[in-house]
Amino acid sequence: MALARRFGAALSKISGTQHCAFSVSAAVAAIQKMTRVRVVDNSTLGNTLYHRPPRVIHVYTKNGVGKVGDKVLLAIRGQKKKALIVGHKMPGDRMTPRFDSNNVVLIEENGNPTGTRIKVPIPWHLRKLEGDYSKLLAIAHRFV
Amino acid sequence: MRIEKCYFCSGPVYPGHGMMFVRNDCKVFRFCKSKCHKNFKKKRNPRKTRWTKAFRKAAGKELTVDNSLEFEKRRNIPMKYQRELWSKTVEAMKRVEEIKQKRQARFIMNRLKKGKQLEKEEAINEVKKNIHLIKAPHAGKAQKLEEKMVEKLQEDVEMGDD
Repeated sequence: MALARRFGAALSKISGTQHCAFSVSAAVAAIQKMTRVRVVDNSTLGNTLYHRPPRVIHVYTKNGVGKVGDKVLLAIRGQKKKALIVGHKMPGDRMTPRFDSNNVVLIEENGNPTGTRIKVPIPWHLRKLEGDYSKLLAIAHRFV
Repeated sequence: MRIEKCYFCSGPVYPGHGMMFVRNDCKVFRFCKSKCHKNFKKKRNPRKTRWTKAFRKAAGKELTVDNSLEFEKRRNIPMKYQRELWSKTVEAMKRVEEIKQKRQARFIMNRLKKGKQLEKEEAINEVKKNIHLIKAPHAGKAQKLEEKMVEKLQEDVEMGDD
């Protein structure tokens, strides 16, 4: 009896591996809704500790994927705040650096940065956003 | 535009090649190819990976202290542009490169000379040990026979005297 049961279990396992019972979609990657991010400027909102890490709740692009230079909406300390992505873990364009964490800089509605200094290296190709985010580039210490 | 050095193998990274990685302590790592990048991700120590320049220099297999290598060091002082200085620097770079290659080659040759000497000694020892394999079977027999005869003759002479 026990032998028959074991055979039956083995058979069902074999048939299970022949087709997937669940659906798989292609990876979205980079920064999307619900990703936890690291705030790299010296604003109080970004640097005070909270029991929940800051998360992305909306990405302002056509598809929901945020790359370097895209604006996102964060939920920090129970508030909503806009931010700019300055580096992600996913390998991006050729000749752009890859960072060890998903870095983000807090921003106001008009594009001005909330903090006063950015110590973390910022990718060089963000310089093309000279018009909108020139104040943000001005407070960056190091370009990489 | 600048030709960087690969963090892992110390090879040149030309523009348009390789990868750059920024760690969370703001240290920047450049890699010349995915081989170096993959080894880095595996947390391998370049000073222990035998094919890297870091290992070779640390193990004394390549020239480390030399005047010609001082020219490669990065200078953080910007120079005002002067045409003659520029062209002279280019010529100097070519000459320094020549000298550096020659010195590095000579260093390696000197290092390998010892090996040639040891090889020769080894060969001599081997021949001495295994001479019985290559010596002709009746090689020294005539000489031995002669010596024996000489001895016998001497003995006979002594016996005759007595």
